[in-house]
Amino acid sequence: MSLELVVQQALNGISFGALLFILAAGLSLIFGMMDVVNLAHGAFYMLGAYVALQVVQITGQFWIAIVVAPVVLAAVGFVIEPLLLRRLRGRHLDQVLLTIGVGFVIVDLIGLYWGREVRTLPFPPGFDRSIDIGGSAYPTYRLFVIAFAVLLAGTLYWIHRRTAMGALIRAGVDDAQMLSALGVDTDRLFAITFAVGAGLAGLAGVVAAPAFGIQPGMDVDALIFSLIVVVVGGLGTLNGAAAGAALVGPAETFGKVLFPQFALALIFAIMAVILLGRPSGLFGRIRIGR
Amino acid sequence: MSAAPALAVEGLHRSFGGIHALDGVSLAVADGERRAIIGPNGAGKTTLFNVLTGEIPPSSGTVRLEGTDVTGLATSDLARRGLARMYQRNELFEPLTARENVALALAAAKGPYRLSRARTSAESAEADVYLERVGLAGRETARARGLSHGERRQLELAIALAQSPRVLLLDEPTAGMSPAETASISRLIGELDRSLTILIVEHDMDVVFRLADRITVLHEGRPIAEGTPAEVRGDRLVNDVYLGKALEA
Amino acid sequence: MAPLASIGFYLALLTFPDWSGAIEGSRYMTTILRDMTVFAIYALSLDLLVGRAGMPSLGHAAFYGSGAYAAAIASQRLATSELTVTLAAAIAVSAALALVIGLLCVRATGIFFLMLTLAFAQMVFAVAFQWTDVTGGSNGFAGIARPTFGGLETSAPEALYRLVVIVFGLVSLLIWWISRSHYGRALVGVRENERRMRALGYHTRRLKLSAFVLAGALAGVAGALSAWSFRFVSPNDAGIGRSVEAFVMVLIGGAGTLLGPIVGAGVVLYIDRVLSSAIPFSQAVLGVVFVAFVLAARQGIVGSLRAALVRVRR
Repeated sequence: MSLELVVQQALNGISFGALLFILAAGLSLIFGMMDVVNLAHGAFYMLGAYVALQVVQITGQFWIAIVVAPVVLAAVGFVIEPLLLRRLRGRHLDQVLLTIGVGFVIVDLIGLYWGREVRTLPFPPGFDRSIDIGGSAYPTYRLFVIAFAVLLAGTLYWIHRRTAMGALIRAGVDDAQMLSALGVDTDRLFAITFAVGAGLAGLAGVVAAPAFGIQPGMDVDALIFSLIVVVVGGLGTLNGAAAGAALVGPAETFGKVLFPQFALALIFAIMAVILLGRPSGLFGRIRIGR
Repeated sequence: MSAAPALAVEGLHRSFGGIHALDGVSLAVADGERRAIIGPNGAGKTTLFNVLTGEIPPSSGTVRLEGTDVTGLATSDLARRGLARMYQRNELFEPLTARENVALALAAAKGPYRLSRARTSAESAEADVYLERVGLAGRETARARGLSHGERRQLELAIALAQSPRVLLLDEPTAGMSPAETASISRLIGELDRSLTILIVEHDMDVVFRLADRITVLHEGRPIAEGTPAEVRGDRLVNDVYLGKALEA
Repeated sequence: MAPLASIGFYLALLTFPDWSGAIEGSRYMTTILRDMTVFAIYALSLDLLVGRAGMPSLGHAAFYGSGAYAAAIASQRLATSELTVTLAAAIAVSAALALVIGLLCVRATGIFFLMLTLAFAQMVFAVAFQWTDVTGGSNGFAGIARPTFGGLETSAPEALYRLVVIVFGLVSLLIWWISRSHYGRALVGVRENERRMRALGYHTRRLKLSAFVLAGALAGVAGALSAWSFRFVSPNDAGIGRSVEAFVMVLIGGAGTLLGPIVGAGVVLYIDRVLSSAIPFSQAVLGVVFVAFVLAARQGIVGSLRAALVRVRR
């Protein structure tokens, strides 16, 4: 492999990892607070991309879409949690199953409304070119994705560490029952958590769309990759999502170049090894057996 | 040469992140003996039982069952060697009937890999014997989740007995029971065959002094006294840390 | 259900091609029934885990898919269409795979078990997808020869239908037998309270592993039958969608019952095949139905009917 190629692939890996972080952060947050693996996460991601497509078609503005899509998804999450998940509070496995059905509905309605063809979202103005890095052309949008994810991570860390909401989340990840004993309105907290998680999935959908396209099946790919990331990094923590994304992004990219035949299997093998050896992930601190 | 004790524990340690739940427990329980383990909450009684049944590995120390070193064996292997436990918090098969709860214990000896029919009349008759012994006659087809608290304790005991154990661990058998239920279950335990060795953790001192041949007092993970009920009752240290308070209560 | 009714129903199913000739579209209905039956076997195999032993596997397609591929590849590489050879290959491969995956998974419970099985199934999917030389990669494996049994051909639709229904009968009988046996009850014991089972002297991991291998082998049988029915296998047969499908069938029909997974397979296949040609949002309907059952009738169709029947009789 030439140095040029290494640099290029490294950038690809980092930008893929950056996207994975946005995607996995929401899944991880929901699990950390609610002990629910949201299997509709991929559907939320897909819906985010299609909402963005719609907004761009109407307004012609990517920058409006990147705000509107997460808000719409957060609203969807804010409705679904009290409407469906809350009825099964405490029955974590059934809640997980419920999200499977929710995903079915969302994905099929997307197909019904927007059709089932491959669609594209144009690069936003200013990020539609390539620049020269180490002697090869590199799309600036991918650099934008990296910068955006870093910014998002910084913001999330700030919320997590410095705000009252963040304190609640940290306490909730440790022990959600404790919060309700302390008089926190957990119903509201869980609805907000689910909304934020869905919003982050939607945000990932918008950001991914120009680079990866919009097509049927994108929900499954997104779900599986976000599961890998949080399992590798550790379910339920922001650090875990970041570490998992930083590991899986480049591993997938280089795996594809080095072992084209078994790249995907390799990623799952990594995931399985981590699940077996350290079931709470590299940065996890959750209880086993739930 | 005397026979090996039914259960012998030597220098058992178990710590949870710096806290010594068991801090050097040694005791020897003779064949057929009724041994009570008493002590204040947090003395390490439940941890001791969890280590004895293999649910928690000890940090150090040895456990011998009828002379054989069984330290670190899995719970299921210990059960197959004749160790049974009546849990403090009931561990029942909730949607199954009382009869089937006992039948699962009976069937354990022959192993699960049998495609022959379960729930035969012979099996039911065998299970019903145990249910009757613990006073659950007439409740055979009630589901475990539909039983009263006292009945659940009785069923818990029936399951343990159906394992035909050599050594039986009773973890607070009378917890949460009414005085009448307490009297009947302690009578029941008192009438068990003397070939069975029994360890009992219990807070009700009347029950302890009635049933126990010998008593071990645990305090902060360590045995601080051991002897006959009369000896323990007379022990000043025991009275200070535990008995005085327990008897007043 | 009365055994007589079950036998009558089964015989009617077995002879469907013989007596349905006068009904319009009976050939199409035979195909649908055949595929429902294949899926019923698949659902029954998963229910052994989900319904009986309480092991929520979201990776069951790994064994369905490997069975399908094994049957197809065996018949191609060994140049034989002999049922005993190809079916044995399907069972052997899927059981061996289930043994390996099961060894690694049975320590986990609940959501962790679910995710581990999902991860391993995706590995199988990835291998099917990328090992193009053997599996045909993303194009799949087409033109699979239908099996022969002794001198009997099954290339005719009716003959294949009968083979599928006979295998279904045998699998149902096996599951029914298990549900009455000591083995079946021990699995229920593990589902309800694994800790207690250990304290009773059961080696619960070994027990769970045995169920995992048996379920995997039976899913492999279903996969082989699907390969012959569709004459096509693709990586999707080992993918997450196929795994989820089985779970949906079991839960809608009723986990832990014999009839439930069969009914569930019927419902799902009806929505997938029949309803989907009538309305463009059949998957959304399936999703709503599934959500409704998880929320309001976790025992599924058969479990709920049974509970209602008990209430009426009182």
